[in-house]
Amino acid sequence: MSSRANTSRVHPFWSIENQGQGFVPPVGSKPPEAKAIAARNLEMVVHSGAGRFQILKGIHLEIKKGDVHLLMGPSGSGKTTLLLILAGLLTPTAGSVNSLGQEITRLSREKLARFRLDNIGFVFQDFNLFPALTAAENVGVALNIRGIRGRVAQQQSRYLLEQVGLGDRAHHLPRDLSGGQKQRVAIARALAGGPRIIMADEPTAALDSQSGHMVVELLRNLAKEQGCTVVMVTHDPRIVDVADQVVYLEDGHMKARPKG
Amino acid sequence: MLGYFQSFSLPGAAQNLVCWIALFRAVFMASIARKNLFEDIPRFLVAQAGILFAVSLVTIQTGLLRGFMRSTTLLVENSRADIWVSSEDIANLDLTLPIPYERVAQARGVRGVARAEALLTQGALWRDASDALSSVKVIGFEPDGQLLSPGQLTQGSQRDLSEPYSVILDTTKVASLGVRRLGDEAAVNSRQARLAGLTSHIQSSASSPFLFASLETANAYVNSRLTSGATRATAPALEALSATDSITYVLVQAEPGEDLQALQQRLEAALPDTRAYTRAQMASQTQAYWQKRTSIGLILGLGAVVGVVVGIVIVSQILYSSVSDHLKEFGTLKAMGASNWVTYSVIIEQALWMSVLGYLPGMALCLGVAAWTSTQGVLILITPALAAGIFGVTVVMCVGSALFAIQKVTRVDPAIVFKA
Repeated sequence: MSSRANTSRVHPFWSIENQGQGFVPPVGSKPPEAKAIAARNLEMVVHSGAGRFQILKGIHLEIKKGDVHLLMGPSGSGKTTLLLILAGLLTPTAGSVNSLGQEITRLSREKLARFRLDNIGFVFQDFNLFPALTAAENVGVALNIRGIRGRVAQQQSRYLLEQVGLGDRAHHLPRDLSGGQKQRVAIARALAGGPRIIMADEPTAALDSQSGHMVVELLRNLAKEQGCTVVMVTHDPRIVDVADQVVYLEDGHMKARPKG
Repeated sequence: MLGYFQSFSLPGAAQNLVCWIALFRAVFMASIARKNLFEDIPRFLVAQAGILFAVSLVTIQTGLLRGFMRSTTLLVENSRADIWVSSEDIANLDLTLPIPYERVAQARGVRGVARAEALLTQGALWRDASDALSSVKVIGFEPDGQLLSPGQLTQGSQRDLSEPYSVILDTTKVASLGVRRLGDEAAVNSRQARLAGLTSHIQSSASSPFLFASLETANAYVNSRLTSGATRATAPALEALSATDSITYVLVQAEPGEDLQALQQRLEAALPDTRAYTRAQMASQTQAYWQKRTSIGLILGLGAVVGVVVGIVIVSQILYSSVSDHLKEFGTLKAMGASNWVTYSVIIEQALWMSVLGYLPGMALCLGVAAWTSTQGVLILITPALAAGIFGVTVVMCVGSALFAIQKVTRVDPAIVFKA
């Protein structure tokens, strides 16, 4: 099965009939915003035994809603640190991040967690699936923590897995899935609850080219068909073609302006 | 949901447990906790063995303590006397000075007394056919009386005690006393004894084997001199007790509707140098003596505490190690935005499963052990209330043990799930 054949099955949530009681409204139903994320003058300094390291230096960034935005650069350039700050998982030493209209750098830890729960889906390089749970249960956990349980959660898990072409793998454990399939389960999990932003950290790094292409197509479709903003850290130059903007980081500095 | 479960005829504690688990599962994520727990079966079994051990230790130690306390008052509980009259010098049921037999007649003359019977208890020496020595506690009572029962007879009859030098022993003690069947003979002090009946479940763990006999036979035993094995035990004709012969208690049955407190006072006033106790007071005084004035409570209580400590150490280690193994999963949950309470609930649910799955086999094992020891004359008393209490202790122990794991999860930085 070609990657195109698989990803062509991806279609907007709202086109599905009989979605079941309690189904989360599709992303597109939320009010449009021009900017999804705006970062201003971000600085990140860490202190370790070896001394003081400035990981990010004066980062200004604007990410439009529905864009696929790449953070690229060599290892140690600060890409993942920037992603963590944009996701509200790390507090910058200086500067601010406005995400979906909220100054998340001013939020408490609890409010940040709630913000992530309501608005952000994560895709990790190592998938970070729960190894003891089936694909459907992995997605179900993400629904459970959003208060969606029981039959509704089961229906939505299955639906989300079908969206990523894994409807027939719902009851497989992660160890029985290929790398590409695991990452698609991770994407289905990230889509639980209808996030407005997807943060992906090297989502294709552990995949072969075909699986990587499939995953990138999925993420691109999320942005284009469902208005989801995708921020992706990657080394993979093949992804540049599907991106709306690309930021190159080197030694904590932005080296190039966004694509387009 | 609660109503649904209440429709079953489960015992209260089990019913509550089922409800709580169902409620917990409805509120929190069930899968991660359960599946992480059962993911590594050998480790799970080691943990359950530890909890089973802890539950068994606590149950058996507590059951032994309760059984011991209960056994010290079995004689009181088996009596139908409303009031026990003793010497005013009394520490507990087994430790009191004698009173003269005339107190029985005096008691019968007190207003409000429907019936009064004598009870004589005293230690004596038992010598079996092979001249092996044992100590026994002679309990002399009126075989035709109504206020004391030698328990549930499995062989023979209470009336057989009217035959001189006939005795009834507890089933669990006959082997150690060197007799096997009805009619076997031995000696008590220097008098003959013939086994006339067997009883069960009326043996005190705090005293020598009970030997039930008629008042006259018991009086003959305790007043006979100890002799060497070469001297043959004799069986002279029994005499009725005289007014000055010693007895230990006067058992009193009150007239129907009589105020027991007032009757106690009247008895103490009419019977010189005596104290009158209701059945409950006598039982409570005896149990208090053993619990407070001996180290038995401390020793068995200490064993129970050791059980809880062992359980806490084992469950803590298992949960901590489980959390350490799944740290990235907890980090992933936190990165996704799960609150600390969600991650705590996973650990607490694991602890609850461990407590339930450790408690059930542990309690089953203890019930089996208790059933076996009861045939050996040792009472391990496991009441429904004790079983429910031990379940509560097990749950608290397991959930409390989760605190270290919870602390570790609290400190997990969700950023650990990212590569950089």
